[in-house]
Amino acid sequence: MTSNAIVKFDNVVKKFGDFVAVERADFEIAQGEFLAIMGSSGCGKTTTLRMLAGLEDPTSGNIYLDGERVNGRATWDRDTPMVWQSLALFPFLTVQENVEFSLKMRGVGKAERSQRARKWLDKMQITEFADRNIAQLSGGQRQRVALARALVTEPKILLLDEPLSALDAHLKVRMQAVLSNLQKDLGITFVYVTHSMSEAFSMADRVVIMSRGQIEQIGTPEEIYRQPHNRFVAEFLGSANIFDAVVEGKAEGGWAVKHEGGSTVIPMAELENAKPGDKITFIVSAENMQLSMPAADHDGIEATVVGDEFVGGTAMIFLETSTGQEIKVQKSHDELSTLNRKPGSKLIVNWTSENCHVLPGE
Amino acid sequence: MKRPSLFSLVLALPLLVWQLAFFLFPLLFLIAISFWTVKMFQMQPDLNFGNWQRILTRGVFWDAYLRTMILATSAAVLTSAIAFPASYAISFKLSDTAKRWMVFILIIPFFTSYLVRVYSLQVFLTDAGIINAALGYIGLGPLPLLNNTFGTLVGMMTLCLPLVILLQTFSLNFVNRDLIEAAHNLRCGRLRTVFAVVVPSAKVGLVVAALFAFILSFGDFVSPLYLGGGNPPTLSIMITDITKSGQQWPRAAVVAIMMIGTLMTVAFAAITYAYKERGK
Amino acid sequence: MGNESKIINGWLMLHIALCLIFIFAPIAGSFVFSLNSDRFPSLPLGEFSLEWYRAIWEDPLVWSGFGNTVVVGLTVAVIATTLGFGGAYTDFRYNFFGKSFYLALALLPPTIPVVIMGLAMLAFLSRINLSGSTISVIIAHGVMCSPFAMAIIRLRLSQMDPDLEAASWNLGGNEWATLRHVIIPFTKPAIFAALFITMAVSFDEFAVAWFVSGLNETLPVKILGFLQGQVSPRINAIGSLAFLSSITLIVLAQLLLRNPEAGKK
Repeated sequence: MTSNAIVKFDNVVKKFGDFVAVERADFEIAQGEFLAIMGSSGCGKTTTLRMLAGLEDPTSGNIYLDGERVNGRATWDRDTPMVWQSLALFPFLTVQENVEFSLKMRGVGKAERSQRARKWLDKMQITEFADRNIAQLSGGQRQRVALARALVTEPKILLLDEPLSALDAHLKVRMQAVLSNLQKDLGITFVYVTHSMSEAFSMADRVVIMSRGQIEQIGTPEEIYRQPHNRFVAEFLGSANIFDAVVEGKAEGGWAVKHEGGSTVIPMAELENAKPGDKITFIVSAENMQLSMPAADHDGIEATVVGDEFVGGTAMIFLETSTGQEIKVQKSHDELSTLNRKPGSKLIVNWTSENCHVLPGE
Repeated sequence: MKRPSLFSLVLALPLLVWQLAFFLFPLLFLIAISFWTVKMFQMQPDLNFGNWQRILTRGVFWDAYLRTMILATSAAVLTSAIAFPASYAISFKLSDTAKRWMVFILIIPFFTSYLVRVYSLQVFLTDAGIINAALGYIGLGPLPLLNNTFGTLVGMMTLCLPLVILLQTFSLNFVNRDLIEAAHNLRCGRLRTVFAVVVPSAKVGLVVAALFAFILSFGDFVSPLYLGGGNPPTLSIMITDITKSGQQWPRAAVVAIMMIGTLMTVAFAAITYAYKERGK
Repeated sequence: MGNESKIINGWLMLHIALCLIFIFAPIAGSFVFSLNSDRFPSLPLGEFSLEWYRAIWEDPLVWSGFGNTVVVGLTVAVIATTLGFGGAYTDFRYNFFGKSFYLALALLPPTIPVVIMGLAMLAFLSRINLSGSTISVIIAHGVMCSPFAMAIIRLRLSQMDPDLEAASWNLGGNEWATLRHVIIPFTKPAIFAALFITMAVSFDEFAVAWFVSGLNETLPVKILGFLQGQVSPRINAIGSLAFLSSITLIVLAQLLLRNPEAGKK
């Protein structure tokens, strides 16, 4: 365990009956780090968080918290407060009573309880609602109550389970900023579970991507975006074209590979060791694709336009080759104005070698 | 398998122990004493089939059995038939507020004494009672309303009608409203829609409601006794008579077990019918 | 079309009205008769009189029956609600082998005909020398009322955000503390509703009580006695008073269930 790790998952497996919810989770979280665990529903991200909180027990493997093995230790004996997707505020208590709750459970006296709760109400800027009923608060105010309630014991780590999913877009962005700043101010570890890439990538220092109980990749947002590890991550990010290819041999500056509809050269930096006949998968992101009108001797692959979709100032063009390979290209409207992109028309797609990235996990 | 925690046991066990000791065990005990014998007004543990033989070979028992079956079945069918238009109207025609009020009003009878209601019905139904006096004003002779099957059925329906309307209404509330519009849209007439769409969709609830009416009427001894005259007896009256008139509890137990067996068979058949899927 | 549906709706409303009259005529009748001087009320009704109320007021048997009813009702309410709470929470929280057996055992008593329950209780309780006492009525009513308490509290628990309990554990409350500080406060309205409703059920139960009560008759058992003996409109007076007290309990329960957060500033 590295010196500054606060959490360590050591080969953790969680099964519910025959269903494997988490398969061999093996990673560390550093002190003061903002870690996001991302994946679609049922991928095991919430189970991972709940095991850390002590709400589920691992089937095998060990979880260390602050250097101590915590398997089997009840959640009420850990200091791993959680902010819930539903917020789970107590409807029969006032705002202040909600915030005081964990102090009361720890036997803190009334006066101190009140004073410490006030401090967090202040910090969250909800002091004026202290005596209100939960039902009288807006969504954003409830978020703040939930944060204050979780942080009032001044824990070293805060767990968040999709806390922003119920908010509208505007409020969501505002709360992202609140969370980011809070985490920097307090210097404590945040473990944030989400299905939203934008939430994870905008706040987290590192992101864990999970699918079907497996960790697909761990890295900084930059690393994951630039160098997705495998097809799942590339597809999850959504903006990359994925090509299966076979290595043909050495070429100028890299390896010549053959893929559906054409061939291309993969730079040596991406693929160091290979031999002819090796199967590889590489991606080219949608914004690095070029489109042109068909010409007599084109350099690229021919594809048929299926349709397009406007994304703000740019458009995503969806095409398909005669063999069924799907291709998407993101371009500004200006760049597209010269092209005939009616569904059914043919266009030539190409890209440069330096934009090819080989998926190491395939 | 995890060992149950002290906490879970403290919460789960009291009810379990209470119901095992005071509900299941007495019922099993009933089976046991049906084989006991009575000597010198004292029950003696025994394995004697005499009680069974004595009850099951007597015409009086089978007459009462048949009478009780017919009464309970009639009460269930009549109550369901009378309740359905009311439940349909409550579920489909009333506003949500009116619906809530209706449910509240229909719950009230459960908290009135059934005995008091039956006594009140006696006053309504006797030869010189309210109804016959009213009929007298328009020149109709006194009708025999009390101490006969009519009186018994009126009493049973007073008991069952609120429950049946409530259960029917709840099940009708779950009928998908789109289905009805779809049926109208497919030119299915109003009444036909009720029988072709609404009734099949709410089948489970309707059958369960009728089943409850059957169970309540089958076990009721107050209406047959005080509105039906009590003679010839139903099974419930037999049990109370045997029990209260001496120590022949083993024979009463035989009647009770026959009743429970019948109820379980009917309930099982009704539930199976209710959940039977088409096309299987 | 519009006209036709109006006519149909009219008939349906009339039908509802007739059903309600059928259901409530005996109840209303009992009120009217209790205030009527005639021993055998008929049309035209006799004159207004409170003599039946005076008769029960002066009847020591009615008072002792009333006393027994109240003692039994209060005790049963507490026992049935406690048992029902445990059962409701168990069903809400746990899955275990034999759970359907547990639930059947907990919820089936109201479907067993009262004569059979009465006989079984009588035979069993007299075997262990408990029959003929107030305790035997309490035991029997505990069996019959706890399903109602359990259903009411279970319904309230199903309205609870399941994360609420886990949130409390997560904030440092162990299971006992969570029960006390989260589950009980949340289900409080249902707990009171269950107390009132089980009390009302016990107040009106006569058959099983008749079998097992012996000399310690509750009021409904007394009524049964009146019914068997001479016809007496005293039944109406008792019934009307019992109805008013039951209905008060129900209305209280309804108010609690309708607006659970009421009473909170």
